[in-house]
Amino acid sequence: MSVSPLQGVTHACFALSYLCALLLEIARLLWPATGWRLASLAFGGAGIVAHTAYILYNQPTPAAPYGSLLLLAWVLALFYIYGTIHHAKQAWAVFVLPVVLGLVVLSLVLVSMNPASTRFHVPDWAAANRFWGAIHGLLLLLGAVGVSVSFVASVMYLMQARRLRNKVLPDDVAPILSLERLETMNRRALNIAFPLLTAGLFLGSLLLPEAYRFGGNWLSVKVVSTAGLWLVFLLLVYLRYGVHVPARRLAWLSILAFGLLLMALVASHPFAVGGGS
Amino acid sequence: MNLRAIGCNVESATVELREKLAFDPVKTQKALAELNARYAAEAVILGTCNRVELYLARPETMAPLHAPLMAEFLSEVHGLPAQEIAPHLYEHADAAAVRHLFRVASGLDSVVLGESQIAGQVKEAFEVAQKANATGAMLNTLFPAALRVSKRVRSETGISQGHVSVSSAAVDFVRQVFDTFTDKTVLVIGAGKMGRLTLNHLAELKPAAILVTNRNAARAEESARNCRGRVIPWEQLDDALVQADIVLSTTGAAEPIVSRTRFEEKVRRRRAGRTLLIFDMAVPRDFDPDIHDGDTVSLFNVDDLKRVADRRMAERRRHIPAAEAIVNTEVAKFVADWNRRANGPIIGQLTAEVDKLRETILGPLLAKMNGKLTDTEKASIEQAFRLFQNRLLHGPIAALQEASLEGHGGLREALRKLFGLK
Repeated sequence: MSVSPLQGVTHACFALSYLCALLLEIARLLWPATGWRLASLAFGGAGIVAHTAYILYNQPTPAAPYGSLLLLAWVLALFYIYGTIHHAKQAWAVFVLPVVLGLVVLSLVLVSMNPASTRFHVPDWAAANRFWGAIHGLLLLLGAVGVSVSFVASVMYLMQARRLRNKVLPDDVAPILSLERLETMNRRALNIAFPLLTAGLFLGSLLLPEAYRFGGNWLSVKVVSTAGLWLVFLLLVYLRYGVHVPARRLAWLSILAFGLLLMALVASHPFAVGGGS
Repeated sequence: MNLRAIGCNVESATVELREKLAFDPVKTQKALAELNARYAAEAVILGTCNRVELYLARPETMAPLHAPLMAEFLSEVHGLPAQEIAPHLYEHADAAAVRHLFRVASGLDSVVLGESQIAGQVKEAFEVAQKANATGAMLNTLFPAALRVSKRVRSETGISQGHVSVSSAAVDFVRQVFDTFTDKTVLVIGAGKMGRLTLNHLAELKPAAILVTNRNAARAEESARNCRGRVIPWEQLDDALVQADIVLSTTGAAEPIVSRTRFEEKVRRRRAGRTLLIFDMAVPRDFDPDIHDGDTVSLFNVDDLKRVADRRMAERRRHIPAAEAIVNTEVAKFVADWNRRANGPIIGQLTAEVDKLRETILGPLLAKMNGKLTDTEKASIEQAFRLFQNRLLHGPIAALQEASLEGHGGLREALRKLFGLK
């Protein structure tokens, strides 16, 4: 029986690669030298390769908390590489990689607490809705990417705004994009994430009544936190386009939205057998 | 290596003398040609607003060029008495000259520590000399090395980090807030000298519009002409503040012209949460400092900007030891490499001379013993002579290489004389 070389790829491979990339980025900011950036990118790239291999081999389902966290981390890792190359002078990785690492670690914690959380079993009664379930999951995953990007942009925005309030310049220690650019990034993330979340939730709400006829709970953590996330996004859209609230307050709300997203991702799906808790 | 760096800078000469010693392009060409022809020296002339320096290299067999002689040369070029120049000239020889150039190119010898303009000026001076055929093996190796060292120092230390002038600190703040400038409006209030440089920097960002307002309409017109701006009547200041993204205020008013109440009531409400950056360069200040909220309105006065500039300079100073360490390492490497390179011909000649000597002795000896020796015995004798030659030369060659690593080429001369090499 042949053993796939991908079988040997574990969480540790990509988590440690991302960690090394992050430490090298921090070192680059503290002791500027050209070598750090290349080494950091090499580790980051290796992390993504290992992460991709792991996903291809294990095919984690986005419907299970474990899979959704891993897939979201993977997309954000791509976002990290893109940003690090595109905004070469900025401390991009220092903000994005901790989120990637956090998601990977969270997925690991879930597995260690409950090894069964890697699996997602679609019950027989829901098998007919498998296609729409997948669309629902994909829309929400893409929406989650938007929420995560908005979170990263918001954290950077608040840090940059804090510097300005205190009248200090970054002095190249941790250069961040301009407030205007971060605000634009945040706005675009919101513009993309909100329709995706809305469509995903709408689809989910059409599927849920079926599930609850078999004992599901409308007040499950996942449903409540996802609904909360959508409401926060609705509020964000209103505050941004309706009443022109200062960007700093919008940034705080975006951070709250990311918190709700994590809750929604970590909570088990009410569709799953035994879910809804 | 017979290299000299002779010149004066802000510390050794007054600005008046430096101005008199400045080289224009015509004088530079003439002086380079003269240094080549008269002194058989490779030459590069480095002239900036802070220094005038001659880098001179001659073959090692010739006497070095010293500062008094160059004072006479400069006196001849610029028509000044040599005794007026000589006391202000410094002279760095060989490794010290290499070190001086490396420090200059890295901005370690600059008035504004770590400034990057000097590297470009060193490069330009070298290129001018190269085009004039005034450089040779020594300076063609030295100057590219200096530019490499400059690059290394700047990339591996924080010696050039951040801008250290008040006006550039203002522009840095602007860049922290805005990303694109082609849709931004800059409002200039007043016509004070303090803001002129900052306005020049801001104008380089190519904003969509520059509005100028002043109590004195004629001065507003003049300022607007200088910066290609549009005049706004003083009475419309509030409207202009609503429209602006960046404000530069430099009036000579004794009292603040924009109080917090005026700003809140007549400006902030009408801005729909848009970000505003205000640079109050006036003393006394034009804007009430309480207007600053660090969110939609950020207000910086001269002290704020000066504090940033001073802090950056202090930060740059922190990197001096690391930068000096790089320079010292590179100087040692350059000098050792250069001397090793210079040893090549001497070692070659020495080996050839002794080869010739060996042949002169061994040839007749073997001829005399022809028929009495087998081929193996002949080969053994040849091998023994070769071994003797190698053992004999090993000491001098090793000592020569060692002296090169230590940075002096005196032994090279000694070997030349001892073995009668050319």
